[in-house]
Amino acid sequence: MKIDLIKFGDILVSRPAGREAYLAMSAYITKDLKEGEEVVVDFLGVKVLTPSWADEVISKLAQHYKVRFENTDNPTVKMTLKTLLINI
Amino acid sequence: MVIGNFLEKMAYDWARSEAPEQIKDEYYCATRDVFQARLDGMVSFLLAGKVAEGDAYMLAAIAGEIGNNSFDHNLGSWPDVPGVFFGCDLNGTQAIIVLADRGQGVLKTLKRVKPELENDEEALFTAFHEKLSGRAPESRGNGLKFVREAIEGSKKHLTFISGSAKMELNEKINISRTEAVRGCLAIIAL
Repeated sequence: MKIDLIKFGDILVSRPAGREAYLAMSAYITKDLKEGEEVVVDFLGVKVLTPSWADEVISKLAQHYKVRFENTDNPTVKMTLKTLLINI
Repeated sequence: MVIGNFLEKMAYDWARSEAPEQIKDEYYCATRDVFQARLDGMVSFLLAGKVAEGDAYMLAAIAGEIGNNSFDHNLGSWPDVPGVFFGCDLNGTQAIIVLADRGQGVLKTLKRVKPELENDEEALFTAFHEKLSGRAPESRGNGLKFVREAIEGSKKHLTFISGSAKMELNEKINISRTEAVRGCLAIIAL
C-alpha cells in the first residue's frame, strides 16, 4: 500500500488539516489494511511539512502499520521526521 | 525594543496596545483558513522573490507552526480580538516574516500543565525546549522545538516575545525581559 501525500496538498501544516487527512485516509485508503501491514508514505511533491500535520497522520499510521518512507529530501520533511523521532 | 521594519512596528503596536487597534485587512487573519491561504501565498511570494526553495519552504514551516499555535491555544479563549497578524516582506532576497496575536500568551497556556512556572522567561524557555503542551492530555508540544531546531544552525533569526519575555534565537538562545505584549509576537528573519 502506497500513500501519495501530495494528494492531500503540497503545504501540510496544521493539526486540523492533518486530522481531516487521516480520517479521509482511514475511510478510503487504508480501511482494508490489516494491522502491521506495510504502508509506504511518499513525500514526492510535498513542499512544506510540519510536525503538527505529520503527528496527526504519520504518527497515527505508525501506531497501526509498518510505515516506510520515500522521497524525504525536502528539508521540512527531514526535520519534521527528526522532530517526531521517526527514523527515515 | 528597537523596531525597524514597518511590519514589525505595525504588529508590535497591535500586540501591545491596551485596546485593539484596527489593522489592515491584508495583514489580519481572523481564522485559521485565512491564515492557511496566506501562508500558501507567502511561499509563492518568496519563490518569486528568488528566495531559495529550501529556505522558502522552511520559513513557511516555521511560520505555519507559530501561526497555527496561536489558533490551537486560544480557540474559544481569545481575550479580545481573535486571530493573528501575519505579514511578510522582502528586501532583495532577505525575508522578514512577522506574526502576532492578542491571545493568552505562553505563560498562561503552559501554567495549566506546569503550575510551577513563575514568569514569562521560564515559560518561553520551557516552550522551546520541553515536549509539553497546554493542550494536555493531547499528546503534542513538538511545534516550537521544531522551530528552534530549524532556526539553530541556519542563517535564520527568530525574535519571539510573549508577555514580558523576549527570546532571541540564532546559533544561541538568549531570553531577557522586555516591555510586555498582550499575546505573542514573532519576527522571523532570513
